Amino acid sequence: MNGAPPGEDLPDDVDEHYRRASALDPSRPSEALRRAVLRQAADLAAERTARQGITPIDSTRPAPSRARRRAIFGTLAAAALAGLLITPRFLTHYASTTAVSPPPPVSRPKAAANPAANSLADAPTATSSPEIGGDKPSAPPAEARSMAEPPARSADASHPDAAAQGRAAARSAPAPMPQAPPPTDPAALRRAAEFGDIHGLQTLLEERVSIDGRDASGRTALMLAIQHGHTDAVDALLAHGADPNAADAHGTTPLEAAVAANQPAVVAALRRAGARAR
Amino acid sequence: MTVAGDSDETLMGRYARGDAAAFELLYRRHEMRVWRYLERNVRNRATTDELMQEVWFAVARDALRYEPSARFTTWLFTIAHNRMIDSIRTNRRQLSLETLGHEAESVVQQLTADPSLSPLAAAVARDQAAALIQAVEELPPEQREAFLLQIEGELGVEEIAAITHSSFETTKSRLRYARTKLRALLKEYA
Repeated sequence: MNGAPPGEDLPDDVDEHYRRASALDPSRPSEALRRAVLRQAADLAAERTARQGITPIDSTRPAPSRARRRAIFGTLAAAALAGLLITPRFLTHYASTTAVSPPPPVSRPKAAANPAANSLADAPTATSSPEIGGDKPSAPPAEARSMAEPPARSADASHPDAAAQGRAAARSAPAPMPQAPPPTDPAALRRAAEFGDIHGLQTLLEERVSIDGRDASGRTALMLAIQHGHTDAVDALLAHGADPNAADAHGTTPLEAAVAANQPAVVAALRRAGARAR
Repeated sequence: MTVAGDSDETLMGRYARGDAAAFELLYRRHEMRVWRYLERNVRNRATTDELMQEVWFAVARDALRYEPSARFTTWLFTIAHNRMIDSIRTNRRQLSLETLGHEAESVVQQLTADPSLSPLAAAVARDQAAALIQAVEELPPEQREAFLLQIEGELGVEEIAAITHSSFETTKSRLRYARTKLRALLKEYA
């Protein structure tokens, strides 16, 4: 069957068989052992930090003090306000100094003929504030958009109303598609499922992540959570729509893995989610 | 903040600086690998429990001595290997499958099939798993350990050679023989 001579170190199916067998083996450390180890580790960490007089790094530590938070927020707010006040002036000046020639009247954008649009464009609060509650909340302000426009638009701005018209045209033009955040690596989701990191898993599930992404053995995050006995992770994945019938590369279904691992609660959860055996 | 994507080495650094959550993540990440390495070598549940605790206590205690230049898993499995050797030397009990027949049997029995599942599918999964675990346990100790260090610890030949105080060629040869034997044993169940 396997033609690899014994002298070669090619990866073979023995390793894969072993991994499958291990996944099906329900033998695992007891919860008491786990608790004892983690308690000891936490005690040692506390002792160490107390002895060295350093502030422990703990992800559960309280947030910065109220005074510090207030200072940070105040600085950021002042910077944002300064930006909003100064940027329009700078842009108007920039547009008038970089003008090449006035545009012919017929080339004016249609929106410029609309007085309502003009008055709206001239209102600094309307042009410089985000479109709160609008359909395109992530679209940048018109001034910010104009910074990235080609020079032709700056040339238009040389007309007395050009800056306002340009802004109005920019507003009436289709807004650029909001930049979607990059998709989360499905491997991170699988790791969180495998390690039973329920907080990490929840965070990743709320992002744009491929919930049924597979590893080299065709295992999804759901399968890994089942094989490592993390019932909470299984529930969370199913609640977010993980495929309860996504078999691994060997055709083992999540239901079969749960049965083999003797996890009746997981079997029941899978059944409720529509899982079936082969 | 400790996150699931942090490397082992980063987590160790964080734990050494007092982040208990980093240790927990590390433990959960490698718990089953260390467990299977120990259990399949010593083949005794009580001894495995004892060793497991000793290994992780040592990791927690010696966190400050850990050099990030070395891979965490190499360090972890070196500790596991040393503890296991100490235990064997102390107890001098290389248990046979017969002496823990009930444990070996329980592995098979615990792979309980759901009555509504296909009995054939459940039986195949059960038999394959039990056969391979038994096959690994029946390997000669040196081959078994080299194989488990490689597959559970994901260590390279050089790292295994260093941990087991063997030459590179000897280790390579043990791994080769282990896989050849496992393949032969598996064929009997095919």
